[in-house]
Amino acid sequence: MKTQHPRSGRARRPFRALTAVAGIAIAGLALAGCTGQGSGGGGASETDASGKVTLDFWNGFTGPDGPALQKVIDDFNASQDTVEVTANIMPWDTLYQKVLTSVASSDGPDIIAMSASRMPQFASQGLFMGVDDYYTDESHDSKALNQAAIDASVFDGVNYGVPVNYTPMMLYYNKDLFTAAGLDPEKPPTTWDEFAAMVPKLTVDQDGDGKPDQYAIAMGDHETVPIYPSLLWGTGGGIVSDDGKTSTLADPESLKALDFWVSLVRDQKATQIGMSGADADKLFQTGKAAMEIVGPWMTSGFDEAGLNYGLAKPPAGPTDPAVLADVVSMGLPANTSDEKKAAAYQFFAYWNSAEGQTTWADGSGFPPNRSDVADKVTSSPYPAIFGAQDVADDAKLLLPGIAQGGPILETVFTPALQRALNGEGSVQDIFTAASADVQSQLGK
Amino acid sequence: MTTTVGPPTERTTAPRPAPPRRRRPLLKANGRRALTAWLFLTPSLIVLLAFTLYPMIQAGYLSLTDYNLIRAARFVGLDNYVELFQDPAFWNAFGNTVLYAVVVTPVTVVLALLFALMLNQRFVGRSFARTAIFLPFIVSLGIIAIAWAFLLDPNIGLLSYWLGEIGIVPEQGWLNDPRYAMAAVMAVGVWKNVGFYMVIYLAGLQSIPGEIYEASRLDGAGPWQRFRSVTLPLLSNQTLLVSVLALIATLQAFDQIWVMTHGGPFFRTETLVMLVYREGFQQLRFGYASAISFVLLVFVFILSMVQFGYLRRKQVTY
Repeated sequence: MKTQHPRSGRARRPFRALTAVAGIAIAGLALAGCTGQGSGGGGASETDASGKVTLDFWNGFTGPDGPALQKVIDDFNASQDTVEVTANIMPWDTLYQKVLTSVASSDGPDIIAMSASRMPQFASQGLFMGVDDYYTDESHDSKALNQAAIDASVFDGVNYGVPVNYTPMMLYYNKDLFTAAGLDPEKPPTTWDEFAAMVPKLTVDQDGDGKPDQYAIAMGDHETVPIYPSLLWGTGGGIVSDDGKTSTLADPESLKALDFWVSLVRDQKATQIGMSGADADKLFQTGKAAMEIVGPWMTSGFDEAGLNYGLAKPPAGPTDPAVLADVVSMGLPANTSDEKKAAAYQFFAYWNSAEGQTTWADGSGFPPNRSDVADKVTSSPYPAIFGAQDVADDAKLLLPGIAQGGPILETVFTPALQRALNGEGSVQDIFTAASADVQSQLGK
Repeated sequence: MTTTVGPPTERTTAPRPAPPRRRRPLLKANGRRALTAWLFLTPSLIVLLAFTLYPMIQAGYLSLTDYNLIRAARFVGLDNYVELFQDPAFWNAFGNTVLYAVVVTPVTVVLALLFALMLNQRFVGRSFARTAIFLPFIVSLGIIAIAWAFLLDPNIGLLSYWLGEIGIVPEQGWLNDPRYAMAAVMAVGVWKNVGFYMVIYLAGLQSIPGEIYEASRLDGAGPWQRFRSVTLPLLSNQTLLVSVLALIATLQAFDQIWVMTHGGPFFRTETLVMLVYREGFQQLRFGYASAISFVLLVFVFILSMVQFGYLRRKQVTY
């Protein structure tokens, strides 16, 4: 092997120096971790030049609902001259990652929106301020609000949030694929058994390579709206008992539901395994899945893709409809000043006023938080569909008010489900072990 | 070859034998020079103390508390460590980290050396090849990880498609399948960093004096023998640097894997640093996260010392 170099003697020193410098550089990179401590920022002035109280509102409405949110905020800012709200829109996972450090360094948001299911965890750590007095103030007109949306942010008897939105998840189904499979495009499955009967027709392996080219349903098993966990309700099961103290993941009812779905996915390939929520959306959007259970924020994406889809109540389980509802709530950091709190309450009241909710529902497709504006929402058909009484009546929140709800889903349920779907053990064994983990999380 | 490696001034001004001079402590030898040296070192030292040593000590303290970033920290003694060593999540991440390091480090070092040897030859397209191998290193890791996640996507991935054409088709995609996920992130990790270590080796190769090869050739050494007895030993400095850096980097693997798999499926690719992040920034347990990072720190420190000790004994200077 020829490795000599004519310039070797001359080049020795500079190259060694270069090596050293490069080494130091990479070591520096490796060490550049992050410590979340900070005292900087300081109290930003409460008012701007014109004497208005300024509120920085962090939220994750990055989709088509973002402009609708902005419209309501603009209307609010124009409606009075004492408070100015600025929306800071970022992806939800970014928000969850940033919120803690920025609040701790007094450099964070004045209003924080997040899934009400995540609020107890943050509230239990002292991030949020209780807002019970918002609801006792008659001038805020909270009576007309959906009670479930209000209750979603209660933790330990204290309400920590005011709802941004409340929505059930519904079944989207691709009518063209139904027709192609010889199914009636106006008859989506209404029960689990009907769904199971359709799976063989809607799961298609065209090239015969053993991997379907079309799936019956697109279900994400991680980083997604928790559809899988909500299916446990279908047989009367669930992850945690109603009082939030006992794991019910290994109860016969829960295992029955899990058995049903895991075998549909494993044996019949009803859905692709290992998808995130975004992957599942993509699968349905590209016509590679005949159904998906998801919220109203996907409608405009599916419309733009030119899908010929229908919306229905998700198929019901043998004993329970198993319809998942989700709430996003607005909370205030624990150290919020009285002045900012009063200003924020003013904004909350506007957001949930008849006027604000009409604008929001029209623009976003979310059902309004109050039933008395339904007839005013005219420019989008979706708020009415997602707000339909029979769906709303059956919709339930997952793990409401449980501080460890987030960790239980992310570190126990999701990995256990993925194990089961990958055939790394029986449903019974996997979820019996997972149930013990849930119990130990509840004890934390 | 026994040329003196000391600074040139030494050779010209000091007629006395050089070796004992070089061993004298810095401050005694020459006050002025030492002062200059310390002055030059001061900025780095300040940065090192402020951004490395202080946070390290702080993390050590935090690991004995239940700090959550919002409330005042409460001292809990060694509770975090007791919990840590009984935590299956910790042992899983520890195992993954060790596996990643044990596979990626030697593969990267050997590949880097091979590439350096090849690209030290003269051939048409050498610059292009060097650039092509080095390029991944300078591209932002986030971008690389996202690009690879796309390439490996089971539904829209180009690489998945090509591999599918030749009959290699994991049903769930490379990153979603527990059997392949770790291998996939390892491959990308090697691909990303091999160029950097190759450059270090290239620099080393070019600093080997040609006379040594001439001499060994005259002695009748064949190519393999020249590689074994000349090239490899004279690259021992570079090998020490490269393997220590690569090992430390792999033990701290985080960003690339995080973007590609988030540690999944079911924590198959979760590394220790990822667990630190999850416990700290997602579960809000900064005390516990500090304990994990402290254990990692001690682990990396011990391993690096062992590596230095072992490789230094094998070091050759000329």
